[in-house]
Amino acid sequence: METGYITALWFIVISAVTVPLMLGIGWLIRPKVKGSELKSQAYECGEQPVGEAWIKFNIRFYVVAIIFIIFDVEVATVFPAMTLYKSAIAQGAGGIAFIKIFLFIGLLLSGLVYCWVRGDLEWIKGAAQGIKPRK
Amino acid sequence: MDTASFAHSLQTWTGGGPLWIWAALSAFLIIYLIALPFGGFATYVERKVAADFQDRIGPNRVGPYGLLQFLADAVKMIAKEDFVPAGADRFLYNLAPLLVVVGACSAFAVLPLSQYLMGADVNIGIFYILSISTLVAPGILLGSWSSNNKWSLLGGLRGAAQIVSYEIPVALSILPVVLISGTLQIGSIVEQQGWAPGAENAAAYHFWNVFHNPFCFVASILLFIGGLAETNRIPFDLPEAESELVSGFNTEFSGMRFGLYALGEFAEIFVMSGMLTALYLGGWHIPFLNLDSLFVKLPSGLIALVQLGMFSIKTLSLVFVVMWLRWTLPRLRVDQLMGMCWKGLVPLALINLFGTAVWMWLFNGRSLAQLIFGIAGH
Amino acid sequence: MSETAKIILVLFQLLTIASALLVTFSPNILYASISLLFAFLGVAIMFLYAGADFLAGVQVIVYIGGVTILVLFAIMLTSWMYQVKLRDSRAKLIVPLLLALFGLLPFLYQGAQHLASRVLRTVPPDFEAFAFSPKTNAVGEALLGNYLLPFEGITVLLLGALVGAVWLARPK
Repeated sequence: METGYITALWFIVISAVTVPLMLGIGWLIRPKVKGSELKSQAYECGEQPVGEAWIKFNIRFYVVAIIFIIFDVEVATVFPAMTLYKSAIAQGAGGIAFIKIFLFIGLLLSGLVYCWVRGDLEWIKGAAQGIKPRK
Repeated sequence: MDTASFAHSLQTWTGGGPLWIWAALSAFLIIYLIALPFGGFATYVERKVAADFQDRIGPNRVGPYGLLQFLADAVKMIAKEDFVPAGADRFLYNLAPLLVVVGACSAFAVLPLSQYLMGADVNIGIFYILSISTLVAPGILLGSWSSNNKWSLLGGLRGAAQIVSYEIPVALSILPVVLISGTLQIGSIVEQQGWAPGAENAAAYHFWNVFHNPFCFVASILLFIGGLAETNRIPFDLPEAESELVSGFNTEFSGMRFGLYALGEFAEIFVMSGMLTALYLGGWHIPFLNLDSLFVKLPSGLIALVQLGMFSIKTLSLVFVVMWLRWTLPRLRVDQLMGMCWKGLVPLALINLFGTAVWMWLFNGRSLAQLIFGIAGH
Repeated sequence: MSETAKIILVLFQLLTIASALLVTFSPNILYASISLLFAFLGVAIMFLYAGADFLAGVQVIVYIGGVTILVLFAIMLTSWMYQVKLRDSRAKLIVPLLLALFGLLPFLYQGAQHLASRVLRTVPPDFEAFAFSPKTNAVGEALLGNYLLPFEGITVLLLGALVGAVWLARPK
């Protein structure tokens, strides 16, 4: 098993080295030109860029990230339990394992259903349905 | 059957040497002979396929049928002037392509090219692919943010939100396979999808997972859709929507930096297709034939080649479908995208998971093929 | 463990420590969060060496794929946060350092014991046999067996977090 993980680490190292390698080869063989101010301007369809691009953005992206983390933790937790289901069935304990695993998933599913019914999954807040937002 | 990692095979075929050298060499060979050339050649195929769909000729100048176009492109990109846009954050601007390339290329480590050519058949196989590909999302977000361009930032934010959201349906569509196989190790998952009705351990082979039960069939389609979204392909190409965001998160990346993003994207498409092949479409197996139980014992090198061919045919067909969809479907809106993920794919994937578990329980872990051929469960 | 494996481990430990220091001392909050990504990666690889391969995967998928993205989003949401240069007085470091030392005590004790056993030639614990051995099934057995209640408790916690998060994000 050790060789497997060492090889995987080699994959990470070699692919990480590839990027500077390619850029380095380019730096060696290309003609050196002095850049100009206009050339290095941000490309906004030929218009002069107004201000910086670093603006505030929609909070929905943040909510998506939070919901993602919660489901991510759930999936990560349930992965090892899932690997046991097959052997549990082979031993005739499939029912117990089934209940244990799907109680776990079902509880969180109820959270998803709650969000869905209350319209929290709508990208445009509260616009899609008649449910009034929180008073 | 005997499985051996690429490093072990190299050691056996060459007859010695310390294992870590072969491990490093196998990583080098898979990245430089499969991942990167595929990424380059796929750009040519993509253009040729696009041309065919639109009744054009496509690239036809460099080499016969324009086959060497990708080499010309590579030379052009490497030799191009390299500049960092004014006001960009240089450090993050340089770091971003690296994260994308590492995230995409490292995942090749566990792709089951053949039972003798797996880079690393690690115990957490599928989980490794899922986890290492998450490096792509910070890469895209940082690249877009660091280039100080409004189009880029919009594209990058969309990209990161989309990639993280669709990771959930992808993971949930992988779970039925974990239920069926009882392991995360890809080599063993693929091995179980073989076909050997006559063998004494026939219960261990349940043919392709996609035909294991009706729920798995749906799950494989969901995995494909999720993979499209993870790789920012049409109809989920909002992060780099040409008609609204110029080129999205990679607008300010030129020359080889853009080339690395493109390589990373195509490598990811290969990884996603390869993962679908390995998990649902039988991986290296030839349908209805078990190379290990033939009447003659084939040399391992020949088996490796045949299996590599089979795996490539399946994976590249999926890549072709990805390219085909590009000229078939319109792009989604952001709200449709998120709605489809949380209200469409996630509930469906959970239903599949539930259904697969019930099927396993009812039929004692037997697949549809095993039921039809009357093979006893374990 | 082979010599190469040990060298790779040391390299990644150095990466982790360097990134952790950068997280603490970088005045640019965005650079700090990126260093955090590399620190997480280094910790994942240490999990791998400690024999917790599944946990290494979880570390990458949840912390790099989730928490880092969340932190980046949070920084980008907070207007002009990334242009603030964070330079605190050194005096503020004292309390966290003391707390960290307090947390380190058990490990230092263990290390001292290990060192003492080496010197006194008693048998050291066999860490090396533990490394790189698969543990996923063992994790699953623990979750469905002895630790079933915490396992189901996680989902209640997650449910609360989910409802709380969307409640906060609702239009007022």
